[in-house]
Amino acid sequence: MSKGIKPVRLKYKVIGGRSTLLSVALFLFFILLSKQFDAYNQSQLTNIATLLIAVFSITLLTGASGQISLGQGAIMAVGGYGSALLVTRLGLSMWLAFVLAIFISALFGLFLGLAAARLSGPYLAGTTLVMALAIPSIAVRFESFFSGDVGLSVDYGTPPTWLSNLLGEISIEQWSLYVVLPFTAIALFAVLNLSNTRAGRTWRAVRDNEVSAALAGINIGRTKVVVFVCASALAGLSGALYGFRGLVAPSVYPTDLSLTLLTAAVIGGLRSVGGAIFGTFAIVFLPDLIEKITKNFNVPETIGNYLPSLTIGILLLLTVILNPRGAAGALEHIRHRRKH
Amino acid sequence: MTSFLTAFFSGTAQGAIYALVSLGLVLVWRGAGVVNFAQMGQAMFTTYIASQLIQHGYSYWSAFIVALVCGAALGAIVDLGLMRPLTSRKNSKLLNSQSMRTTIPVIASLGILGVLKALAGIFWAGEERGFPSPVAPNAIKIGQTNLAITGFDLFVIGVVFLTLVLTTIFFTRTGMGLAMRASALNPEVTRLSGIKVGSVRTLGWAISGTASSLAGLLVTPRTNLSPNTLDLLLIVGFTAAVVGGLSSLMGCVLGGFILGYVISFVNVYSAPENVFIAILIFLLLALFIRPQGILGSKEVRRV
Repeated sequence: MSKGIKPVRLKYKVIGGRSTLLSVALFLFFILLSKQFDAYNQSQLTNIATLLIAVFSITLLTGASGQISLGQGAIMAVGGYGSALLVTRLGLSMWLAFVLAIFISALFGLFLGLAAARLSGPYLAGTTLVMALAIPSIAVRFESFFSGDVGLSVDYGTPPTWLSNLLGEISIEQWSLYVVLPFTAIALFAVLNLSNTRAGRTWRAVRDNEVSAALAGINIGRTKVVVFVCASALAGLSGALYGFRGLVAPSVYPTDLSLTLLTAAVIGGLRSVGGAIFGTFAIVFLPDLIEKITKNFNVPETIGNYLPSLTIGILLLLTVILNPRGAAGALEHIRHRRKH
Repeated sequence: MTSFLTAFFSGTAQGAIYALVSLGLVLVWRGAGVVNFAQMGQAMFTTYIASQLIQHGYSYWSAFIVALVCGAALGAIVDLGLMRPLTSRKNSKLLNSQSMRTTIPVIASLGILGVLKALAGIFWAGEERGFPSPVAPNAIKIGQTNLAITGFDLFVIGVVFLTLVLTTIFFTRTGMGLAMRASALNPEVTRLSGIKVGSVRTLGWAISGTASSLAGLLVTPRTNLSPNTLDLLLIVGFTAAVVGGLSSLMGCVLGGFILGYVISFVNVYSAPENVFIAILIFLLLALFIRPQGILGSKEVRRV
């Protein structure tokens, strides 16, 4: 063999390395950013960190495996009610409740996935949309257990004294961020590893062509169920953290929440983790930005109230028509063009 | 017995409206392979237009006609302005993947829904308002006894029946209707036989827009009109379409009536807050027992 072709070596990415670095970077970025912000924007930052976990679940579900869910908000409600009930009824600690919420919603995702594995495209979209409407109404139906429309009030509690001693005075807003951020970082770590390893490659194969994936020996049904379990675990964790801002009630997890999450994922780029981060920032901060702009132009209140949803809707449509891969796709396109 | 009759007649009237909604969904699904989640958003918008006309002193029937025409126009605009450029895009990396080809139009229709709701909020302040009906919603009396059916129920059933007859004639007796059926069945062959598949598809969107606009006009006298009231109608219409078979026009009408009875009987014999759960359970049962729907044909997977 003189100059033969080198055998192709599959790169096995070491779990850890790059994704650990990125997760730590995200953590530090949020902390540093929060130092620049006032209390209101700090709580907005906590919202971002919380919703980001749910948007990641869409990145996995729709971006990586091609299944659509319009009901991620309902799964968030499952996680939220699970953790809130554990804390208020059984008196568990908040941290334990968050971890258990992951398992509760993963179990829910298992059942959902078993149903969803038989469905595709619009069937799945419609069924999950019905679920998004039906799940919160269960809380009203079984009022004595879920306390109906009033909801369960839960909160992040107060920072422990050792942390206050270490960092000085900690405001409620800062403490909320400190509670949420570790989970966000872990979620990022998990999503990065899932999409870059064997599991992620299997999901992408199913997404791109089910028949050829099946021919390559992939069990389509099982793969879809696994994706649903992973995505539901993430969404449930996000829902638990979201509820502990103060209240777990049907009004906290409306149908619009599910659609907002999907919008964030699409605007940023369905297939990209960085896109999910960008999209979530856009969704949370855009209404504030628009309000600031309209204040200078003396826009009547009736119009001003609906401008954010109009802008986000138009942004979603433009993304889908002009650039379906979202902001992340556009960035990649520009980089690609520069190289050539 | 009276409660049974009440449930039965209001179920028939509601079912007629659900049948219209699911007819609209199925028309677009067969023609374009898209489930249009913005459909009831379009209907909400046209019903607001009708309500605005009535407030400005126009008669009910002129507003009625204008709303139907606007519904058709809106449907055609959605197809021409959004869905056609979207699905004709060939070189997109994202749309090359099998599952994304059905997912992206769903997301697009949700975008339209969001925009329409926001516009309704801006134009009409998102207020909840009543919508008039041409017939008094009182129970019909024969002598001294109240019948379990209201005049409005009869009006709804009559209008929907007429629409269904016209639709059937359109699809079985006219060249345009046959062209629509043909292009739903096999677009390629239909194009080869000289039919403009694109225009036929747009016509499907327009008819679907008209049907859902009609559903909006018929349901709002009872539910009132606000940007969100028709969302429930979409969910029920979708469930009806799945129950009857997304690919079958007869099936989806049947599904609409079945859903009407289910919801009406749950309302009368159980509690209204059980309706959502009943719909979800019914949908899941339908998907597990007969995923292709009552009258749907078994789906053939294209490789």
